Amino acid sequence: MSSSPTQVHDGTRSQSAGDPLLVVKDLKVHFPTSDGVVKAVDGLSYTVERGKTLGIVGESGSGKSVSSSAIMGLFHGSSAQLSGQILLDGTDVLTLSEKEMRALRGRDVAMIFQDPLSALHPYYTVGAQIIEAYRVHQDVKKSVARRRAIELLDRVGIPQPDRRVDDYPHQFSGGMRQRAMIAMGLVNDPSMLIADEPTTALDVTVQAQILDLLQDLQREFNSAVIIITHDLGVVAEMTDDTLVMYGGRAVEYGKTSEILTHPEMPYTWGLLSSVPEVTGDTSAKLIPIPGNPPSLLNPPSGCHFHPRCAHRDKVPGDLCVTTTPELVPGGRDPHHLKRCHLADPEDIYLQEVLPEIAPDLVDEIAAPEQTGAPGVHGTTGTTEQGGRA
Amino acid sequence: MFAYTIRRVITGILLLVVMSVVTFYLFYASSTTPERYACGPKCTAAQLETTKKSLGYDEPTYVQWGKFAKGVAVGRTFPDDPELRKAAPQLVQECPAPCLGFSTGYSAPVRSLIQDKLPVSFSLAIAAFVLWMVGGVALGITAALFKGRLLDRAIVGLSLVAFAFPTFFIGLLLLKFVSIRWGLIKLPAYTPLTENPWLWATGMILPAITLAVVYMAGYIRITRAFVLETMSEDYIRTARAKGLNQRTVIGKHTLRAVLTPLVTLSGLDLAGLLGGAIITEQVFNFNGVGKLSVTAIQRFDLPLIVGIVLLVATIVIVANIIVDLLYAVIDPRVRLG
Amino acid sequence: MGTNRKRLVAAAASMVVAVGLAGCGGGGSDSESNSGPSEGAQPERTEATKGGTLYSLEQAVTEHLDPQRVYVGRDISNLGRTVYRSWVTFPAGATTEEEGATPVPDLATDTGTPNEDASQWQFTLKDGPKWQDGQPITCEDFKYGMSRTFATDVITGGPNYILGYLDIPKDSDGSPAYKGPYTGEGQDLYDQAVTCDGNTITYRFNKPWPDFNLAIASLRAFDPYRQDQDQGDKSDLQIFSNGPYKLDGEWNEDTGGTFVRNDQWDGTEDTIRQANPDSIVFQIGIEAETVIDRLIADSGDDANAISTRNITPAQYPQITGDVEARATNIVSPFTNYLLPNFNRITNVKVREALRLATNRAAYSGALGGDKASVPAQSIVNPNVPGYEADSLYSEDGNPDTEGAKQALEESGETLPYPIKLTYPIGSEASDKAFAALKASYDEAGFETTLDGLDPSGPYYDTIQKPGSDSDLIWGGWGADWPSISTVIPPLFDSRINLTKNSNGQDYGNYKSDEVNSAIDAALVEPDIDTANGMWADVNQQLSDDVAYIALDNTKFYYLHGSNVENYVNSTSTSGYPDLGVISLKQ
Repeated sequence: MSSSPTQVHDGTRSQSAGDPLLVVKDLKVHFPTSDGVVKAVDGLSYTVERGKTLGIVGESGSGKSVSSSAIMGLFHGSSAQLSGQILLDGTDVLTLSEKEMRALRGRDVAMIFQDPLSALHPYYTVGAQIIEAYRVHQDVKKSVARRRAIELLDRVGIPQPDRRVDDYPHQFSGGMRQRAMIAMGLVNDPSMLIADEPTTALDVTVQAQILDLLQDLQREFNSAVIIITHDLGVVAEMTDDTLVMYGGRAVEYGKTSEILTHPEMPYTWGLLSSVPEVTGDTSAKLIPIPGNPPSLLNPPSGCHFHPRCAHRDKVPGDLCVTTTPELVPGGRDPHHLKRCHLADPEDIYLQEVLPEIAPDLVDEIAAPEQTGAPGVHGTTGTTEQGGRA
Repeated sequence: MFAYTIRRVITGILLLVVMSVVTFYLFYASSTTPERYACGPKCTAAQLETTKKSLGYDEPTYVQWGKFAKGVAVGRTFPDDPELRKAAPQLVQECPAPCLGFSTGYSAPVRSLIQDKLPVSFSLAIAAFVLWMVGGVALGITAALFKGRLLDRAIVGLSLVAFAFPTFFIGLLLLKFVSIRWGLIKLPAYTPLTENPWLWATGMILPAITLAVVYMAGYIRITRAFVLETMSEDYIRTARAKGLNQRTVIGKHTLRAVLTPLVTLSGLDLAGLLGGAIITEQVFNFNGVGKLSVTAIQRFDLPLIVGIVLLVATIVIVANIIVDLLYAVIDPRVRLG
Repeated sequence: MGTNRKRLVAAAASMVVAVGLAGCGGGGSDSESNSGPSEGAQPERTEATKGGTLYSLEQAVTEHLDPQRVYVGRDISNLGRTVYRSWVTFPAGATTEEEGATPVPDLATDTGTPNEDASQWQFTLKDGPKWQDGQPITCEDFKYGMSRTFATDVITGGPNYILGYLDIPKDSDGSPAYKGPYTGEGQDLYDQAVTCDGNTITYRFNKPWPDFNLAIASLRAFDPYRQDQDQGDKSDLQIFSNGPYKLDGEWNEDTGGTFVRNDQWDGTEDTIRQANPDSIVFQIGIEAETVIDRLIADSGDDANAISTRNITPAQYPQITGDVEARATNIVSPFTNYLLPNFNRITNVKVREALRLATNRAAYSGALGGDKASVPAQSIVNPNVPGYEADSLYSEDGNPDTEGAKQALEESGETLPYPIKLTYPIGSEASDKAFAALKASYDEAGFETTLDGLDPSGPYYDTIQKPGSDSDLIWGGWGADWPSISTVIPPLFDSRINLTKNSNGQDYGNYKSDEVNSAIDAALVEPDIDTANGMWADVNQQLSDDVAYIALDNTKFYYLHGSNVENYVNSTSTSGYPDLGVISLKQ
């Protein structure tokens, strides 16, 4: 379980109460190339509050990593064209100079990368790299920074941190390297932590430990966290909100519990279908999404997903091909947004999709719908198992 | 690391032995007749035989090699014929171990010939090395940082042009215009560094530039490629994500990674040059090992050829060992065993 | 004249560019052969000023400075004018063939006295000349010098005519029983053949040697040598002088050396060598192109420089105006020719057809045109006294293809007649030159196969085999002293050349008893004019047999600095700059 139901916030837009740490508004990241403009991110909006976790889900090339790199300001000095707003604690980072951005980077917002072996410099010791990260932002002596590094390594569960601090990354195991990465990310107590596929390169047994660690740390530091992943299991376990991206755009956005139990967009259905369920029902089918991710250079017209969508025929006319659907609330919840022309996606999901992918859940999900919330637990629980597998 | 070095040195010595044998046999496998050169223009068949004998070229190759090996181990006395030595003591020349033999063309011990020429080749190689490493790496990094822009294209384009020109052409061009036509620099000539550093430098500059230009062209392109490759590495993104400034990201994180392949490459390139830059030495009339080797081959001077082959091989072997040791120092992932 | 044709060709195999096969490309224009021996800028002789430093810029490294070993024409000439003296020499600065080929006394009181049949020669030493250490030169020094040539295992590379002439018994292998001064083997035999009586030396030969004093004047092999200075091979690059200069320090084989004045030399006694510059710096190992570039630029010390590197065809366009005034273009002592293999082409009509079809004009053109090469009209070089242009060879060098076709027709052989032309590879220019020969042969009815071989070994190994399957073989020659006796006998006397394993210099395996006996008669004729008439008859016989086909005479195209005066490409010094008269503007 990711969080207790009482902590689920009541809104996903900036109008929500509480304290939104990160507000992304209509973010566009375009790369001009000799073949044309690659629209890696094309009009993305979301919000993350302190102590909360947002999961960004999508296939490779959906723009999920690009959007977070934009938050880090890593496109400074490149040919990328950025527009929109990224308000971090009220400051629009897109308007900052490289120097101002540098001061934020690693201090207020830190990032944990996918493959810790390649993300750590092979020629410097783990300690040196953490110390460096600390001393960029803190005016302290090396010995102080070293103590801090050892403390952090200890906190993330590295045994004998005072010795291992002088080891090189290649002397660490995969899980320890990721712990070290996390230690490096947290060394400056960032209010915002972005974890880009933090467990993908790890053994499954280690994945769970790392996720637990992240959760613990988030609680301890009260950071806002974005987890970028293609693994719905991780999303189910870790996140409060979920943003599904496809072809550079958000296609579904809402509370994680909502999205996992009542997905309203055929692409999300597809993602759910392709989660393997080791411990689940053997009658459940693993159905991959047909076709390839869309080209960001020449994206499909209308709904970007239409070439791969199995439910196009349920939409009148050729609306899917000609008109881009807006990201609007679906029928169930004003804060559950979806980008789809289907008039009654809930029905189709329950009637056609769910029986295919999880026949034993059909009744469970369909029944409590009249009565409300309880079913959520069941579903997320199941998915969680899948994610942990 | 110590055991590793010892093992490498022993392998290197064995390699040198094999190379000396191969050189002896290759020399006789070629269709040249060394005695014809020594005998002179109007040589009869009988004189050719006498000359062959006096040069020691009449004996079986393995016997000749044996004498050579003995000379290296314990030294030799020339001429080989003990009766001649006894009859004419004024002809006797001692060649203490390690004796590389006696040059038939120069009438001098091979070792002293090589010792005379080595400082020239070393000076030239090191001067050129400094020029091309500083220039090549700096321009390579610049090109990488300005990738795709005019400056990058200019640097890469010019390096291609430089790369395409043969060394002797660049050398002759510099010599003809800079030195002879315009008289900007006095004619290049070698002065020992210990004798007069200023003359050493001014006499060395044109040949060093000539030699450096070709290598620099290669190093610009290599460095540029290494830097670009490294800059796309995840750990460079990590470094930037820490909030490090560009100078630290490039100067520390990127260069540290680029250093490894550069050290390997440049170490071996330098080693190749220490054994003599044949064309450059020829063009500028620098009497280094490169020019000596040309003369040795022109005159079918077997002892000198063997000596130079072994010298160059030794330099390359030693350089390989040093580069491998350095590699272990630079890259913590490498453990020698 | 001391020359070294084969060595130059051998060097052409590598990076060194040889005279004659030099350069790259070159126009194919017909050479207007109006060149006499002394063509080119006639030297303007002025009152010589003493002093200054002369620079000699050269490419080839020095092989030997030992008088008994030196055999490179340029070095023989330079050393004879600066550090080594002998019984006789040629007058300094001579510009006609006769003058440059007439010995004058040097260390001897006269030009030598032969006995009736010239099988014994006597020379008497002047009183006064000293070595550089102040000791007087003695008759014994002359005797010792010549003895060194017999040590063929130590003193290699030098001219060795004396081994065949000196009256010393032969071993079973044909070599003299005297083995030189180092082993002392057969020393008593040598002591009988060469005797010193006071200041007078007597040389005893086993056959007449009428032009022995020409040989002395032309080579360094008969120069005196001080026994206490002899270290055998170690002495190869040492100079112990008795001339106006001496070596300052050591000679570096790769960079050269500096000659400074020898205070033991007496200019009033030696009237041949003017010795004008105070010092002479030999800078060697410089690329030919660079040498010429520096002489064109003529700046600094290079204005005081000379060289014997030829201007390369690529640099011809730069030789204009005042640069041209400093250039000299003369016919060198080197002649190139083809030898038909008499073991294979036995039909004289076929050999005649080959001679008629030979395109000497195109051959010269390919080698660089009339600045580099001129079609030859005899195997004898125009610089050798007694030279006559052979009317069989046109002056322009164009082939008589029709005549060749007709001769081939008359031969009765089946056509096309296959021939294999073997030549030394060296440069692109030489490949072109031989391709030009092939073209005209093929046009006349031959089917030519070009067989280019490396002159560092395979070339001579192949052509010197009596059983070689080459039909036509390239050769080059320069006379060792100005006499046809150093051209025709070494090349065509079958008795000294043809053995079981080798044909020596007689690559064509030519064997004529008639020619052999005519050679014997001419060799012993003491009167030069009579002898020249006899040589002309021998040459006629060779031409009738088509024993050779003349190709071209290599030319020298030299440049010197603007400050150099009295620059003479003397016939006395084989066309090389005569250091005996040269001087520098002060």
